[in-house]
Amino acid sequence: MKHRWITDRGLWLESRACTLGLKQKIEAAALPEVEAVVPGDGSLLVVLQPGQGAGPVLLDLINKAQPDASLEVLGRHHEIPVIYGGDAGPDLERVADAAGLTTSQAVELHAGAQYRVAFLGFQPGFAYLAGTPTPLQTARRSAPRARVPAGSVALGGMYTGIYPGTSPGGWLLIGRTREWVFDPLRKPPARFTPGDHVRFVPR
Amino acid sequence: MKIVVRKPGLLDTIQDLGRPNYRQMGVPEGGAADRQAMILANRLVGNADGAAGIEFTLHGPTLGFPQGGVIALSGARFEVRCDGVNLHWDETLALAAGTSLELGRALNGCRGYLAVAGGIELEPVLGSGATFLPGAFGGWNGRSLEAGDALPVGVAGAMRLGRANRPVAEGPLRVVAGPQLGWFAESALVGLFGGRFVVDAHSDRSGIRLRGPALRVEKSEELASQGVLPGAIQVPPEGQPIVLGWDGPVTGGYPVIAGIIAADLGRLAQLRPGDRVGFQALDREDARAAWLDQQGALDGSITWLA
Repeated sequence: MKHRWITDRGLWLESRACTLGLKQKIEAAALPEVEAVVPGDGSLLVVLQPGQGAGPVLLDLINKAQPDASLEVLGRHHEIPVIYGGDAGPDLERVADAAGLTTSQAVELHAGAQYRVAFLGFQPGFAYLAGTPTPLQTARRSAPRARVPAGSVALGGMYTGIYPGTSPGGWLLIGRTREWVFDPLRKPPARFTPGDHVRFVPR
Repeated sequence: MKIVVRKPGLLDTIQDLGRPNYRQMGVPEGGAADRQAMILANRLVGNADGAAGIEFTLHGPTLGFPQGGVIALSGARFEVRCDGVNLHWDETLALAAGTSLELGRALNGCRGYLAVAGGIELEPVLGSGATFLPGAFGGWNGRSLEAGDALPVGVAGAMRLGRANRPVAEGPLRVVAGPQLGWFAESALVGLFGGRFVVDAHSDRSGIRLRGPALRVEKSEELASQGVLPGAIQVPPEGQPIVLGWDGPVTGGYPVIAGIIAADLGRLAQLRPGDRVGFQALDREDARAAWLDQQGALDGSITWLA
């Protein structure tokens, strides 16, 4: 696999389907020059310690990686109780309408799917959950809301996400959970890690 | 021992060398924007490089030292008055009990640093004392300093007096090609490397916005989110680049045309709104060599007087 650079510290790989598997392989190798391995949507950023180059083991892992190979991915399992619709999910009707479903069918479809944490970003603890059923995949709001309540379960493009804290946001809000998502004083601080599985349970 | 904030500056935060281990949880590394300056200030007072100090921005705070203290100031130079005494930058300074240190405007650059012997003593959050303002955690209660804050100072180790001579780096900021460089029109590359950009006032520790020649993407495909780092030059559709800062998000959805090398991030930290800046291409191995040279220069920059 060819690599490119994001600044002189980040070795960038177009890792596609093998992103999470390759991430876990590089982490398991516990290489001294690697500071962090950060997945994106189909890409992987290997952050090197300042002043370090990529060593032979890392280069070998990268050269041998097949972007379309599905490697084993380890992860924990989370069940997240959600109150769908109403004040908790003001966009549920709009999402259901666009999919040609009733709101209860849309909830059933969303809660029936298994999700995988693809990567985190946007703000601390915000996980991009892959696995949103196609009929529920929607465009984002053209104008973001100034204030999305913490715990909001939301749809954005191919992904489902849970807002860890109250913040502005452009995704469509379909429900809310009271579960913690990010807390800097906990260990680990983020509920979700790339590779984890998530199911939503209607309440 | 304590440092008391008598009057805050424009933006004073507690910083150290950040928290590099939480990126995959969406937490950026953060920490002092001009790391070299923070490290130098810490060394001048006998601290470990990663001790917590104060970063101040464009206009500094007025600080009281009721029990005195040994400090060093580094980074951008600021107007400074200290009970009528003239203070030097990049030098170990012993302040008597009851001293008031009045920092004014930045005379050059944007960010100054104060280290105190013993360091500012805080409960680390995610392994660091750095303030992360977007998430309101770390540092001093997750916020910038306010009048009346009394910052506890740790126990100082052995003390020497030192003076540093920092080489002044000038010229364009050096960059390595980004993963989406090939998405851009040739005119964009001419613009990036031949043009001059002005630092926009809407710049902060999360991102530095630049105004200059529009950098046009030829490829119309929408980019999937990717991991990014401070110094990455992202280009939104309108073509005006945003350089990702220290507290910026860990993933981004705009194409990255190039990235500022680690050795030049301290210079990025010192850009003020209205400053002009250009870019020069470097390959990755030369970038690494530049970083190693810089570390060597930092090690050799201090002359110990006693």
